[in-house]
Amino acid sequence: MDKLNCTLTAVKNLRSNVRQCFEHLADGTDGEGVEESRNKFVHDFQEKFGAINSQLREVEQLINGLQVPPTAYSLGNTAYLAQETSQDRQALYPQLVNSYKWIDKVHDHSFLAFNNLNQNTLRRSYNYCSQKRPRLPFSSFNNDPDHIDKLLSEINTPPHTSYRVFRPFGSNAVAIVTISNVLKAAIVFKGVLIEWVTVKGYDEPLEQDDLWAESRYEVFRKVQEHAHSAMLHFFSPTLPDLAVKSYVTWLNSHIKLFLEPCKRCSKYIANGLPPTWRDLRTLEPFHEECRNC
Amino acid sequence: MGVTVLQPYPMPEGKSGAHIIDYLGKRLLSLGATHAGQFLVDCETFISTPQPHNGTPGRAVHVLHNSEYPASTFSIIDSGTGKQVSLVADSIFDLLMLKMTNTFTSKKQTKIESRGARFEYGDFVIKLGSVTMMEHFKGILIEIEYKSCMILAYCWEMIREMLQGFLNINVGKDFPTYFATQTIMTAMGQQQLHAKHNDLYEPTDTVKQYLEQFTNYRKHVSMHGSLSGTSGIQQPVHMSSSPVMGAAGGLVLIRS
Amino acid sequence: MASVSSARESLSHALNNRFLPNLEYLLQGSILDSAVEHLMHRLKGLCDNVDTSPETFHDLEVCMSLRQPNSNQPLLLRVRRALGRDAPFQMRYLGQPEVDQRRPTLVRSCMDCACTNGILEFLTEMGFRLEFEYIAKGYMFRKGRMKITVSKLIKIIPGKQQDMANEPISQSYIVELSVVAPTGQENVGEEMRVFAEQLKPLVQLDKIDYKRLGSMP
Repeated sequence: MDKLNCTLTAVKNLRSNVRQCFEHLADGTDGEGVEESRNKFVHDFQEKFGAINSQLREVEQLINGLQVPPTAYSLGNTAYLAQETSQDRQALYPQLVNSYKWIDKVHDHSFLAFNNLNQNTLRRSYNYCSQKRPRLPFSSFNNDPDHIDKLLSEINTPPHTSYRVFRPFGSNAVAIVTISNVLKAAIVFKGVLIEWVTVKGYDEPLEQDDLWAESRYEVFRKVQEHAHSAMLHFFSPTLPDLAVKSYVTWLNSHIKLFLEPCKRCSKYIANGLPPTWRDLRTLEPFHEECRNC
Repeated sequence: MGVTVLQPYPMPEGKSGAHIIDYLGKRLLSLGATHAGQFLVDCETFISTPQPHNGTPGRAVHVLHNSEYPASTFSIIDSGTGKQVSLVADSIFDLLMLKMTNTFTSKKQTKIESRGARFEYGDFVIKLGSVTMMEHFKGILIEIEYKSCMILAYCWEMIREMLQGFLNINVGKDFPTYFATQTIMTAMGQQQLHAKHNDLYEPTDTVKQYLEQFTNYRKHVSMHGSLSGTSGIQQPVHMSSSPVMGAAGGLVLIRS
Repeated sequence: MASVSSARESLSHALNNRFLPNLEYLLQGSILDSAVEHLMHRLKGLCDNVDTSPETFHDLEVCMSLRQPNSNQPLLLRVRRALGRDAPFQMRYLGQPEVDQRRPTLVRSCMDCACTNGILEFLTEMGFRLEFEYIAKGYMFRKGRMKITVSKLIKIIPGKQQDMANEPISQSYIVELSVVAPTGQENVGEEMRVFAEQLKPLVQLDKIDYKRLGSMP
């Protein structure tokens, strides 16, 4: 094994010397035609050439000294390199093409998403906020479980609303709110900030292992949409407790989701839906179509 | 599953059932509802022979099916003393009923069903059913379900608005009779007022409403039959295909 | 447009095309309390659903009977309710067993029907009367379509269904091997016989002739 190593080193040296020699030749002389430098150049070349010759001899000697190994060397995983090299058999190509396509797609999508998100003025990332006002203390992403428990218990809930808090994702809380017999909502917190809200019907399952599936009823899908826009509206990283409180108050106004007609058109149904929008300040019910006109 | 209200459609004089169903269907489609399949609710009643020697009164077991719950059989027993017990079971319950034919005999001539088209509009399901008993057309029952709400008191106004706006039926502000406040006996044997419109809605409630309506149609038939002096209960309806001015308005034979 | 078929139509369709399971193939045996551990080990080795621990059950079975005119046999319906678990009530009708010497198992017609919890009141209103009731508590195993139950039967002091004071009927467990299959699947019996063979000599599973039991004092 040592011999083999020596030989390999010798071959390496030989190669680097040959390379140096050629580099030297390529560099040439200073070009001024001075006899002295020309002589020096030839002399250097001869020296290097001699070194190459002697190393070549050395390599030959070493090679002659090598013996055919009695058993095959164990080369670990590299041994497999010699096997099954035909592309068809390894089926690598289609996989490669696939992953290439995926990466391409991911790249495209993330580029678009990046552009879109940059335009969004309601950006809620912490970095963004802290860049603007670097000195404000941000308690909003401080993750104190007791604080959330306290906060949720402090919210003066109407008697028809119940809260169930659990923490499936480490210290971050999820609150399942059941508003009378009307709807259920899962509020996913990150620290004290609301990250996500899922709204479902009273008879639909809403458990911690499935917080993301949409409701099968159109009305609750619409309410969820509005709940998200309200979530952005109430978002306030500087006063997170107040944000949560006002959001939950807003959410609770859905207790009369089916009971109250639209404030503007005084009808119950528009497009097959009851008034799903609740005004953010007055909590008055409106149809989605009626709220802007 | 949500609150369902069953409403008989008043038959205008001189119009055939098929004509009205067609008119209502077109009206629904043009108002934005989509056609979503067919439905069927049927009811068969089994009567036990009274056994006077041990004081058992005659009991009626109503067995109903609703195509909205195709794997279930709904049954409601009338003990003859005004008490009703209802049961939801697998559809194999039908075969069990056949095991009791010695005690409970099916009254074949009162087999009644409501069948027709199903429409969807948002979270509403509207069913236009034509009721037939022994192949005779009896009337039109409109079922309207609001899938996303579980309590009638919450969404009654919405359903009322749908009935009035979409189907042009005038409905009073009061809850339908099935949901009206009624006196019930508590487990302790005390009488108590119970507001059914505040209860969580269950599929059985739909079936019970159908039974209520079906019973009305059956009663109507027996009255009509005895009034017109034909061969009694078994021969209740005029078999003519032209509108007949009778107590039931236009009665027309429909082949389904 | 295809119209909906009535429930009765689809049920008779299931019966006629033989995919409604309505026959129960049954083998029964019993084992002493002291030896039941060995049987459990054997079953754990043989059965499918033993990834975790064997499935337990704890059911109250109430048998209701209806005397029918023109028939000397009352109609029996068994209603099972899982104690300590929220599950629909199960109602079961069992026909008269056929003990055919040529068949390896007892065969009887069988109908299982899940019900809401009003079933007992419903049956009472229909005129059914309580025949007997007991609690079965034990383990359930599965092997392919075969069901093996090892259960303890517990006597009930009337009115105390939930009470722990209820006493076992005997010092042994009842072992049942059963398959509920549609009509016309004759190989079921053979399959069961082979399986029962593998449980010997721990437990001898046999077809029990109820008629002969009934005539015993």
